Amino acid sequence: MNNSLTSRAKKLFINALMLVISCMWLIPIWMMMIYATHPDNVIFSGELVFNPGTDFFKNFAILQGKQDFSMAIFNSVIIAGFSTLLGLLVASMAGYALARFAFRGRNSLFALIIFILAVPSAAIVIPEYIIVVKHMGLSNNYAGVILPYLANAVGVFFMRQSFLNLPSETLEAAYLDGASEWKIFYSIALPIVRPALASLGIILFVAHWNDYLWPMLVMTSEQYQTAPIALGRLIGLANIEWGAMMVGASLMTVPFLLLFLILQKQIIAGITSGATK
Amino acid sequence: MANMQMQQLKKNFGNIPVIKGIDLDIKDREFICFLGPSGCGKSTLLRLMAGLEEISSGEFLIDNKRMNDVPASQRGISMVFQSYALYPHLTVRQNLAFGLKIQKLPNDEINSRIKEVARTLQLSELLDRKPKILSGGQRQRVAIGRAIVRRPKVFLLDEPLSNLDATLRVSMRVELARLHEELQATIVYVTHDQVEAMTLATRVVVMKDGAIQQFATPLELLHRPANVFVAEFIGTPKINLFKVEVQECGPQSITVTHALFSNPITIPIAKDIKFAAGTELTLGIRPHRLSTKQPLDCTISAKVTIVERLGTESLLYTDLGLETLVICSAAGTVPINRGDQITLGFSSDNCLLFDDHDQAIERCLPADVQLLIS
Amino acid sequence: MLRNRYTPYAFLSPYIIVFSVFWLVPILFSFAMSFMNTRSRTWQFDFFLNWGRLLEDELLWQALKNTFLIIALQVPAMLMLAVFAAVLLNSKDLNFKGLHRFAIFAPIVVAEAAYAVIFRLLFNDNFGFVNNMLALINIDAIAWTNSSSGATALIAIGLTWRWTGYNAIIILAGLQNIPKDLYEASELEGASPWQQFTKITLPLLKPAILLCLVLSTFGTLQLFTEPTLLTEGGPGGSTTTVAMYMYSQGFKSFNFGYGSAIAYLIVFLGLTLSLLQFKLFGGKPDE
Repeated sequence: MNNSLTSRAKKLFINALMLVISCMWLIPIWMMMIYATHPDNVIFSGELVFNPGTDFFKNFAILQGKQDFSMAIFNSVIIAGFSTLLGLLVASMAGYALARFAFRGRNSLFALIIFILAVPSAAIVIPEYIIVVKHMGLSNNYAGVILPYLANAVGVFFMRQSFLNLPSETLEAAYLDGASEWKIFYSIALPIVRPALASLGIILFVAHWNDYLWPMLVMTSEQYQTAPIALGRLIGLANIEWGAMMVGASLMTVPFLLLFLILQKQIIAGITSGATK
Repeated sequence: MANMQMQQLKKNFGNIPVIKGIDLDIKDREFICFLGPSGCGKSTLLRLMAGLEEISSGEFLIDNKRMNDVPASQRGISMVFQSYALYPHLTVRQNLAFGLKIQKLPNDEINSRIKEVARTLQLSELLDRKPKILSGGQRQRVAIGRAIVRRPKVFLLDEPLSNLDATLRVSMRVELARLHEELQATIVYVTHDQVEAMTLATRVVVMKDGAIQQFATPLELLHRPANVFVAEFIGTPKINLFKVEVQECGPQSITVTHALFSNPITIPIAKDIKFAAGTELTLGIRPHRLSTKQPLDCTISAKVTIVERLGTESLLYTDLGLETLVICSAAGTVPINRGDQITLGFSSDNCLLFDDHDQAIERCLPADVQLLIS
Repeated sequence: MLRNRYTPYAFLSPYIIVFSVFWLVPILFSFAMSFMNTRSRTWQFDFFLNWGRLLEDELLWQALKNTFLIIALQVPAMLMLAVFAAVLLNSKDLNFKGLHRFAIFAPIVVAEAAYAVIFRLLFNDNFGFVNNMLALINIDAIAWTNSSSGATALIAIGLTWRWTGYNAIIILAGLQNIPKDLYEASELEGASPWQQFTKITLPLLKPAILLCLVLSTFGTLQLFTEPTLLTEGGPGGSTTTVAMYMYSQGFKSFNFGYGSAIAYLIVFLGLTLSLLQFKLFGGKPDE
């Protein structure tokens, strides 16, 4: 008797507590979307609103007027997209070499790559800027943002791990079938590790989409800025247009929230396996 | 034509010799088994033939052409891996077509070959499925199909039946024998299971520690094993071995004694060999050649410790204080029980003799065997 | 397989090229720059110009203090919250797990810039949502952006919101790796839930928590976007982080040499802290 009472109380407590926490956690996202649909005078008034309003498109127009946000989104898509695709290719080629070939210098190279993981990325920014912008002249150029992203070590590490688990005999069968080294990699090995590629791809895409500092340094003109930069510029204005800014934040965020809902498993898999390094 | 030769073939992994100088001559359309305990090098030898490992020294020829530096896909060889190694993301049809597409064969040719192979191996219904949902036996047939579809001169199979359950293994053995007939190809087959080797092969290569112990037909191996290792490895149940002492050597005969034998036994041998009296030799008698019924040239008195009734035969295990139990195989079901005292008899022409270096002393074959072995 | 010995190098070459040009060279270049006077027309080696300045620069020390204050405030609180959340999410008594997981984990995909502006709005001193809600329970408006303690707290809160989920994922994975029979065995011996938590759960979670600790400290050490957009480093430079200071030296004052020295200081601090944390809290948990 006593047992079921305390266990029911425990159950109630846990669920209530978690509910409170979850609600608190959802508030920022929810309010972002709410405020995106109200005119600024409502926001200024200090009244508490929880329901969506009707001013979404008005706010969007303000946003476009101030920062050509749709162009910024386009730039974000280009940069995040290409960084991810190229990044996956480069990282998987390198990971494949490290995992499936024995060659001189393999261990030292791998140690060096692990070392990269230990160095904070913020430390590279200044020299990177000098090289990319001043010496290569790649300011306001997609390549200037994308190329340094490809030196990411996490991807190489992650793909190497996946390729280590490939059954040797399957690759040998392809070799016996007459496949060239590239064909073995591209037509057999890569498709087999597709789940890992998907996880890594999502993580890379989100990370590149969200990046603020590096694109800001390279893309100085409004035409090439990415969405986070555009949002940042709105803060710097004398009169902050809050509703418009919330529209921008929503446009940047909501697609990824949906993506998260659909691909939750892959994203979490990527984080946990990367974490067990 | 697809005959193969190996001349002093050697393979080292680093400094460790794994294949220690193999000489082998395989004729076209033979079904050869590489048989031996794990670690004897049989799989390595197969992989050397396939081109999956590099030959350290020696020559390997197919149809009198040197193959040492020829890439695997150009040797005219197909291989069935132990794990089947099917491409998991491709359908059965695509698995079969993969190698053919690389060879740039026209689509009609590819399709007709796939159709033919599918019919032969009963894969027609499975062509559009992926390996993941196939059973073990089905996957194995796909692996074999992938090998056949390339129309190779030589088939290499690496323990193809070891992942299957017992009943499937038996039916697949029959399949493989049928395929050998149908395809008229040379097959090299690696196994550790001597029953497979003995039933399927035209000739068997028995290996140990990277060297060939004997290369002969199954019957030869059974009745004229080259050394103690082969004698022990081949034949179920295992051969009974006794350490005997030479009493005297006559013209083409040796008389030996053993503490447990009822009398000294004279064994006819093929050549004239002299051993000093007292030399220790090894005498082998197969369980089927020990009889509980007729008194023969020599007998041993023994107490039965275990009786295994298998229906067709009964195995009687007796403890004679030797290292291993002496086994007698009696036909059918016999009225002998545990604890019974029995007399085991054997005749001299069923004895195998091995010298003090474990090498066989050539013997005269008994009449019934002589009919089988030409 | 008989392979061409150059194949692995061919597969590696794209990465090696990008890695050399965009990581190796910059990092060596930066090291060199830290020893050079980059403000003179032609750069000259001046060994202690920048490194010496590091020791004397009041603003730098202020920035370091701010950064460490944020770390000290945010990291322990967030880790405890993450463990708590992971334990709750792992509990078989919890309903609507999907909803809760979404609520806690979803912030991972939100851009720093996006949540910075959201929080800036929510925590606005005058009309912000948070102050409005506080007013409902009769608490005075807190000067989130206009006081140094408020601003620091604001950044810590934002970071916690954003990163608790990420750490909770790692810890949850660690939780699920603990064999159930350990709990069953201890229950048979009469252990209370609290004892189970402290004697079994926490020790076996140590590797996961340690990982989160190192990653969080490392990440917060490089904090840039949030203080830039949330509080603009103020008020009065109280939330200027060391990364922001490096940025202003490098890109506002164009003092590349000094900026590089600061960058290396960040690297040094990051590595030292990580090593220290591994030393102090690492080691195998006893069964």
